[in-house]
Amino acid sequence: MPFPPPPRTLTGPRRRSLLASAAGAALLVGCSTDGDDTENTADSPSAAERARARAATDSEALLQHYDAVLAAHPTLTERLEPLRAEVVRHATAFGGSGATPSRTATAAPSASASASAVPATASDALAGLAAAERSLADKRAKALLDVPGELARLLASVAAAGAGHAYLLTEDAK
Amino acid sequence: MSEEKAAELTALQAALAAEHAAVYGYGVVGGRIREGRRTEAKAAYDGHRARRDALFREVRDLGGKPVAASAAYALPFPVPDSAAAVRLAAELEERVAGVYSDLVRASTGGVRGTAAEALREAAVRAVRWRGGSVPFPGLAERAATPTASATPTA
Repeated sequence: MPFPPPPRTLTGPRRRSLLASAAGAALLVGCSTDGDDTENTADSPSAAERARARAATDSEALLQHYDAVLAAHPTLTERLEPLRAEVVRHATAFGGSGATPSRTATAAPSASASASAVPATASDALAGLAAAERSLADKRAKALLDVPGELARLLASVAAAGAGHAYLLTEDAK
Repeated sequence: MSEEKAAELTALQAALAAEHAAVYGYGVVGGRIREGRRTEAKAAYDGHRARRDALFREVRDLGGKPVAASAAYALPFPVPDSAAAVRLAAELEERVAGVYSDLVRASTGGVRGTAAEALREAAVRAVRWRGGSVPFPGLAERAATPTASATPTA
């Protein structure tokens, strides 16, 4: 028997609808109303829309945490930028802007207010970021139980990515 | 059986088939991987066996006939040494992540929660083997544009 092909070869219409949903919140609502996910009332478009918006806000808050750590510990830039870039993509996938005030307003983020809360040592700052990634992944693991299938799938993937980030932030710090 | 349950059963069977393949694949990994990472490979092997057994029961409880493992599987590439074994391990986890993300979508409640947990586990293992992150584990349609962090660092 051949090794099962990677699932990426299966591109059904539901996958395409996920791609469409990434383009904007309105399209995601469209997906939920055309009968794909109507198992119960919790799956109403507005509930799904709220969950999606919350997921975007959560990713943006995490981005701010990254930016605060980067502002306080510029030596971590090379380590953190790839992970931060993925968090931007997560925020965008949930329909968020993927931008944070400190990033868009100034080239060199002041972020003094949030930076003051960043631990003085780089390793403590990384541990704090890892904890934030992990707790957000846990939160998403719960949230995905109450949303339509397509959004649940995206939440599960982003939660898994966050857990991977937590691992990288923790392991490398040793 | 309702349409939803039928879709869930199909996704459960796909996950079971992928776990059968992962268990087989880790057998190959274990034979080739260097001493220093053997414990890690054994832990992954045990993890996939446990998931496989749970999925077997889940399919049976839903009234399905659990898909059986094949006697052998064609590997996606030759695995002559430890570096290739590590690549295979990462590949196995990525495939498993893909079927679990589909199971998350096709299921509800406890099955969905467990699938999300399994996806997370596979994604973290893939990160360990790969030495880097991907933005959307298990989402094939978003895998076309990897970020810089997907480059192995170890």
